Amino acid sequence: MKLQLKENGFAAELNDLLQRRAERVKPRPAEAVDENLLWVAEFPVGEETYAIPLSALRAAVPLRMVTPVPLSPPHVIGILRFQGQILTALSLASLLGGRGWREDPAVLLVVDPGFGRLVAVDCERIPKPTGVPHAQVEEARARTSSAVCEITLPGMRQMSLLDLGRLMDRRNVEKR
Amino acid sequence: MSMDPLLEQLLTGFVDESQEIYERVTRSLMELEKEPAQGARFDELARGLHTLKGSAATLGLDELADFAHRMEDVVLPLRGSAQPLPSQMADAVLKSLDTWMARLRATAHKGDLPDLAPSYTLLAQVKPSANGERKSEANGEQKPAANGKANGEHKPSAAATLAANVARPAEEAEAAASSDDTSGDSWRVSTRQVIALLHEVERLREVRLRIDERRRDLDKALQQLDRLGIQSETAEARALMLGLRRALTADGEEAADIVVSMEDGLKAISTMPVRTVLEPLRRAVRDICKASGKLAKLSVVGSEVSLDRRVLEQLRGPLVHLVRNAVDHGLELPEVREARGKHREGALTIRVEQQGNMLFIEVADDGAGLDIEGIRETALRRQLAPAEELGNMTAQQLQQIVFRPGFSTKAEATEFSGRGVGLDVVRNQIQALQGHVEVQSVPGQGARFVLTLPAELGSSPVLVVRCGEHQLGLPMVAVESSRAAKSADLRVGRSRVQLEHREQLIPLQDLGALVGLRQPEVPPDGAPLLILQSQGRRMALSVDEVLGDKELVIRPLPMEVRDLSAYQGAATLARGELVLILRPDWLVNLERKTEAGLSGTRRALVVDDSLTARALHRTALETGGYLVHTASNGRQALEQLRHSAYDVMVCDIGMEEMDGYELTVAVRQRAETDSMPILLVSARDSDTDRQRGTAVGADGFLTKKDCVSGRLLSEVSAVIARRKGMS
Repeated sequence: MKLQLKENGFAAELNDLLQRRAERVKPRPAEAVDENLLWVAEFPVGEETYAIPLSALRAAVPLRMVTPVPLSPPHVIGILRFQGQILTALSLASLLGGRGWREDPAVLLVVDPGFGRLVAVDCERIPKPTGVPHAQVEEARARTSSAVCEITLPGMRQMSLLDLGRLMDRRNVEKR
Repeated sequence: MSMDPLLEQLLTGFVDESQEIYERVTRSLMELEKEPAQGARFDELARGLHTLKGSAATLGLDELADFAHRMEDVVLPLRGSAQPLPSQMADAVLKSLDTWMARLRATAHKGDLPDLAPSYTLLAQVKPSANGERKSEANGEQKPAANGKANGEHKPSAAATLAANVARPAEEAEAAASSDDTSGDSWRVSTRQVIALLHEVERLREVRLRIDERRRDLDKALQQLDRLGIQSETAEARALMLGLRRALTADGEEAADIVVSMEDGLKAISTMPVRTVLEPLRRAVRDICKASGKLAKLSVVGSEVSLDRRVLEQLRGPLVHLVRNAVDHGLELPEVREARGKHREGALTIRVEQQGNMLFIEVADDGAGLDIEGIRETALRRQLAPAEELGNMTAQQLQQIVFRPGFSTKAEATEFSGRGVGLDVVRNQIQALQGHVEVQSVPGQGARFVLTLPAELGSSPVLVVRCGEHQLGLPMVAVESSRAAKSADLRVGRSRVQLEHREQLIPLQDLGALVGLRQPEVPPDGAPLLILQSQGRRMALSVDEVLGDKELVIRPLPMEVRDLSAYQGAATLARGELVLILRPDWLVNLERKTEAGLSGTRRALVVDDSLTARALHRTALETGGYLVHTASNGRQALEQLRHSAYDVMVCDIGMEEMDGYELTVAVRQRAETDSMPILLVSARDSDTDRQRGTAVGADGFLTKKDCVSGRLLSEVSAVIARRKGMS
């Protein structure tokens, strides 16, 4: 027997949620294949918008089953298992030098910072994919040697693109 | 020669079963050489021989059944004797057992069958006569083997040859055992494939956890439906969901069972207990001692650790070599030891420890130690280095020369430790396993060889304890005993606590304080205490609860936290959660870092049910020089406050169990904390929250979005200043 879902059987909130999920899984628009765009995963940290290259994002998992590690540096939230590996979960706001936050992070992004192993960072919301013109990224990167480069998007929207490798480089973390 | 397929199949199992019996009987024989031939030990010996005989007969292996019968004939008449088994008899039965095992293996693998006749002769020579005497006793055989008369007329060669003959079949049996894994009816599977399968099991465990998550989500949906009341529109959906929940529960349980059985199966395929390699060394030690006239006792610590089979097989040779060297070159003769003020019996110790993905094996003796000048002279004679260089070398550098090819000297070589194989071969074998070997020696006190190897597989027994909300593991090898705390046994000083344990005072530490979770607490009566021993040091450790011992696969920590010297690694518990495994040497060597001694340090208690929020507050506060302890709920915070004083509490409002307002009220009701500065933080920014916070006694309010490092610190300083102003 097939379960019939009646629209009026759900709360409006639930319908909205399903609608948003459906939007998210819709195929990317045609311009998404534009080779001049760098696809990034965009997410908030407090009042600011940050992004990482989509190619570095491996998974977004609920922030559960993280084992705290006593005596670890404060930017370490704990360790967790992911696909048979043990990963470190790091606090992004802490890595960024102590940022405020709007919601207690409920998501962990499993990322490949580019040094051959995966790391998880916390995130307030599931990121959304955004295309940023390559030229704009290159221009912003040329202006800074730090792990965070600021990009101004159409509509004067600011986005900070993170270089995860640099951000998690032990020497940089210790300096902070 | 063709063999009945059924017999062939049965033989494989019989070889394994016999190997276990062989090991038990060997151990019993060696023990009964030292103690009266009676009691449980003798029963075990008799039972073992009888089982070998009976099982061989059942399989139609009449020669082996008869041969086992002959061994029984030799041993059984001595049952109940107040004397130990005569040494020569034990030798003969041990050698015969080796031959029996070698013949069984040869039968199973259709190899050349060893001749039983010499063993029959040997047994006949030691068989007690009707009046209980052995034939050879007439010749007065009980002379030390080193005298060269051990075997009288039956063994024309020197004592060393006799002992070597006794020892060799054991090696052959080992070699045959080792070759079993690479031939016959087994499959060749690469280690990489097994490890890949282990990772798949881990993934399956995660799937199982996700099934649990789905079931919990379903529970929530059912609760929502229940809130709507049972209505006809939802009845059908509710029934379906209940069915789905039952199915998910069953699926979750089945998945859990599969994970456990796959893990057990893979563990059995890929690992074996290290004792399978170490136990035969007892026999080697005994044989060399008999031949050389030395006395030695071999102690093994950590033999229950299970290791990668491949590594273990390749460790056999190096370990045999090191143990032989230790007895033959290291230990002195009993009379020499006595003259040097040592016990006549030399002590040999093999210690096995797995720390994360590293395996440490230590082979130590309390003999004469390495002869530094002898090494220098040999190296010079063999031109291993220029004279000038040798002259400038430190003792430590000279000790490393023993690993150079060709160092082994003929003068020092004997039947057991010479054999044309030097320590360079040991080093090469260990290096082939991506490991390394080091030697440390103290003249007159002994030598210690430490093998360090990577160990990707393997499990160790771990005692899991609770400390606050944390579960932590302690390798069982370091846990000597456990007991309950009794205030009468505690000596509480200003800077340390000691425990009177078995008429000794040993330091007592609070695990929670050691790992920075709280300020040190003196354990109340009845609190569990663990007595730990590592690196010759002993200590008592108080924990909140002992959760039990488990056989766990310890895996290395990820790079970001691998430098933390407190931990060996982490292991996964049955429900999928990770547990950190503490390093015993870190615990026993830790100088008590009394936080009480950090008199100028300000202390903050952060209470938040969000792990990330706690991390962020800690980051900010530690930057400002605070010592930070954390609690994940109000109940825990109150428990912390009962034992410790804090300069400030930073507390989240929106906690599930007891919210920040309720906690503030509870804190204000206690005399010890009624004036402690409290800063409330919230994800919401509302005047109502601020006003309610002030009403219940909080000193400040900050939204989480404003919790940037500088702002949090300035707010914390402000609430502290406000409280001071009020007082």
